[in-house]
Amino acid sequence: MGFTPITPKTLLTGCLLLAHAALAQQPVTPTPDQAGSPRGENTADYNVTDSFETGYRFAIVNGSVGTYRSDVNYGDGIRLLSGNLSVNSRDGHGRWFDQIVLTTIGLGNDPYQSVTLRVEKNKLYRYDLLWRLDDYFNPGLPVAGGLHLMDTSRHMQDHNLTLLPQSKIQFHMGYSRNTQDGPALSTVQLCLNGSLYCGTAGNEFPVFENVRTQQNEFRLGADVDLAGFKLTLLHTWSFFKDDSGYQENGVESGDNPSTGVTLNQFQRSAPYRGASPYWLGNLNRSGKTLAVNGRITYLDGKGNFLLNENAFGGTPLGAQNQQVQVGGDASRPQLTGDLSISVFPTSSLTLVNNTSVDSTRIDGTSDYAQFNLAAETADFVSFRYLGLRTVANAMDLHYRAKRWLSLYGGYHYSERRIEDIEDYAIHGPFSGAMYQQSNTQQTGLLGARIKPLKAMTINLESEAGHANHPFTPVSDRNYIALGGRFEYRVKKLTLGAAYKENYNNNSVTLSSYSSHARNYSANAVWTPRDWFTLDASYSKLHLDSLSGVVFFAGVDAPSPLAGNQIYISNIHAANLVARFVVSKRVDLYAGYTITMDTGDGSGSAAPILAPVQTFPLNYQSPLARVSIRLREKLRWNAGWQYYNYHEQFGLESFYQGYHANTGYTSVTWAF
Amino acid sequence: MAADNYTGSAVCKTCHADVWFNFYKNPHYKSIASGDQPPDRTGCEGCHGPGKAHVEARGGKTTIPRAFSLMGPKEVLDTCLNCHARDFSKGNIRRSQHSLADVVCTNCHSIHKSPAAKFLLAKKQAELCYGCHADVRAQFSMPFKHRVSEGFMACTDCHNPHGSFAPTWGMADGQSMVERAEGDQEPCLKCHADKRGPFAYEHPPVRVEGCGVCHMPHGSTNAKLLVRPVVFTLCLRCHNGADGFGTRNNGIPKLTNTHNMLDPRYQRCTLCHVRIHGSNSDGYFFR
Repeated sequence: MGFTPITPKTLLTGCLLLAHAALAQQPVTPTPDQAGSPRGENTADYNVTDSFETGYRFAIVNGSVGTYRSDVNYGDGIRLLSGNLSVNSRDGHGRWFDQIVLTTIGLGNDPYQSVTLRVEKNKLYRYDLLWRLDDYFNPGLPVAGGLHLMDTSRHMQDHNLTLLPQSKIQFHMGYSRNTQDGPALSTVQLCLNGSLYCGTAGNEFPVFENVRTQQNEFRLGADVDLAGFKLTLLHTWSFFKDDSGYQENGVESGDNPSTGVTLNQFQRSAPYRGASPYWLGNLNRSGKTLAVNGRITYLDGKGNFLLNENAFGGTPLGAQNQQVQVGGDASRPQLTGDLSISVFPTSSLTLVNNTSVDSTRIDGTSDYAQFNLAAETADFVSFRYLGLRTVANAMDLHYRAKRWLSLYGGYHYSERRIEDIEDYAIHGPFSGAMYQQSNTQQTGLLGARIKPLKAMTINLESEAGHANHPFTPVSDRNYIALGGRFEYRVKKLTLGAAYKENYNNNSVTLSSYSSHARNYSANAVWTPRDWFTLDASYSKLHLDSLSGVVFFAGVDAPSPLAGNQIYISNIHAANLVARFVVSKRVDLYAGYTITMDTGDGSGSAAPILAPVQTFPLNYQSPLARVSIRLREKLRWNAGWQYYNYHEQFGLESFYQGYHANTGYTSVTWAF
Repeated sequence: MAADNYTGSAVCKTCHADVWFNFYKNPHYKSIASGDQPPDRTGCEGCHGPGKAHVEARGGKTTIPRAFSLMGPKEVLDTCLNCHARDFSKGNIRRSQHSLADVVCTNCHSIHKSPAAKFLLAKKQAELCYGCHADVRAQFSMPFKHRVSEGFMACTDCHNPHGSFAPTWGMADGQSMVERAEGDQEPCLKCHADKRGPFAYEHPPVRVEGCGVCHMPHGSTNAKLLVRPVVFTLCLRCHNGADGFGTRNNGIPKLTNTHNMLDPRYQRCTLCHVRIHGSNSDGYFFR
């Protein structure tokens, strides 16, 4: 069978056409069309390209605004929707820098904002910055009974500086910061009825939470290239703190008002301080017939905590005042090692053997003291140890049988041991027994890549595995994964299709768990003319699973029930986008996205679960955009995107659908 | 290869002016700018091989020692790894699922005409990955998702397309090339630092099986990217007391008889068990 590989010209042309179209971009903003010359302008010894988009966006939301904010969250206002700047030295010998690359998204007040910056001077330094802001909104969807609301902002920044990036000895420095702040509404379960343990008369109360977490990480490392070996060393100091506070003032009757218990005042402080110093060493040697990579890491995670909680409320027994104090520490040392050996006995055969070892120990004590100033006190220390050790070996083979046929196969073996001790004492010695278990998993892989025609590629893959002692009923036990992929690519047309199927059967004495996932997808990109591109894709994601469940149900004396839980998710997702260029000045872009779960989880051995087994919904988003080049360095853009989320199940009679019109108008300009 | 078979990039640009015109923006230009690299590691011939025969023949692909359009996947990989093999991020490239499936460097990188700001990607990163992973593209279009299509995140925040080390969770099975956060933990913890701990009371499946036991990381039709729409159905999958599972081998504890599942209060598990990822104060994750 003949074989003529795809030419780079064809490949690159196709890629560039698609890249320019940016077809699968879901949100209508920012506008992908850039202002100014893509080649940039020369200024002294540098070439500069830049394009900035500034505009106003709006959102009109009807229905569940909370769900909209959780899903989409775009609001009103003026934004720097996007920014792109690159400055390149034309001879690679700039005085202070040879390259600056700056990209921004959503600056101003968008819920998702990011800035990336690279500044580089050949041979001397390379600096990378990634700054991001994420406005997170959780409206307390029914999974949490509508009570766990969060309206927080997460700021993340990563700085990385490499000194002497082209030399045999390089130095790396880095700093990362991750903060989360904002109000939240949490819940607390309290026992204000005079008993230490909450029974059916327990009650849960909403409490305000002031989320304040912060992580700071410092990195220092080096790469040493010597005698054919490359040694990488890294040390990281990571510190985390949580100073979130909880409080409630006012009389709350809680989630179970029939108890007659009210919470009148609540305050909790729970400061946590964690440190996770980390060491990494990696040694690599790559040759013509042999490549070896060895790595060892050690993480010494530690955490110290203190909790002080005061609650005051009313009970049928009278006013109660309860105080809880907890203090202690936790540690999680983790040691890992990897050794990968690649052998290339012939030009068409590659053998890779990889061995990995991981040992994680988690332990800590928690000194718990509860004072009920009216009745009882409790004071005890808990101890928990969880040890994990995994040893894995993977042997993979890749063989190029013909120019049009490659095969691969593999055998992966892993063994995991888990040890557990749980104990508590009234300030006495611990005597908890240790529980041990081990799980062995063996997996075989087989696959092929076939290229029968110049423009056609077919990939086939399969995996089958068995684990003899999985940790949970939903873990892999007897599983099979099958997949195939087809691609046909010529200059003006790309066709693709893929299929994946996963089975897992985890049978046990009490119940059984099985899952069956099937994913089908197809996509096509057609560019018949330079001025027209059409992109379409469709995916069907199907999952059905069967779980054995045991629970109690009943009003006065709940009785045990056992049965099966069936969950069927039958998702159809489609995307259609068209782009037109009119007279080389006007870009028109129209798209439509739909995600539809048809559900169909009817029928169950446990009737109580029937209402929560099928969740048909519909999520659609059409969009349209126009971008007009007014001048060489100025474009005007406008766009509209509609979101329609519609649930058909209404958990607890609460429907959280919405529809929203969002849009923007902007100008894209270059210096 | 004899040194006199190398002509230097200056000769190449005579005919390939279109490639040379913007080549100073290419990271590979550093090898030319440095002026101290041997001929086989610099400029055009660093990748394509000595050009003397090509020049003497006045062109033609077959006279280029390494014409990528004529090379098979492994040859492409070997050529790029001549310089990049020892990058730490590529320590597992030979065993990555991409390499096994013959998805090699030029499938994702466009060396001469990259439209991306960094890494010479053939497209914007998400578009590039969506090209093959259409099912993942569909997941990122779902109502609840990580903001990859919005440009806020990138696939490489969580994945290493060049291959990753074996994960420390699950059974160390790393087919999806999931990158690890520093500290050999799940990449989720890079951003969700509050879930990192260590906690005095870890929810064991989080450490043993990983976040994916409860969450679908790309996107979901369920709030909080959960694998089930209703939280108690999620919890009941494991908390059924089935023998042989859990840390004590005698089943993951089923709910006590105080939990009347007909009562919506008890269907909202995290209403009480608020610290479900891990707690320092309570083994039942109450506070």
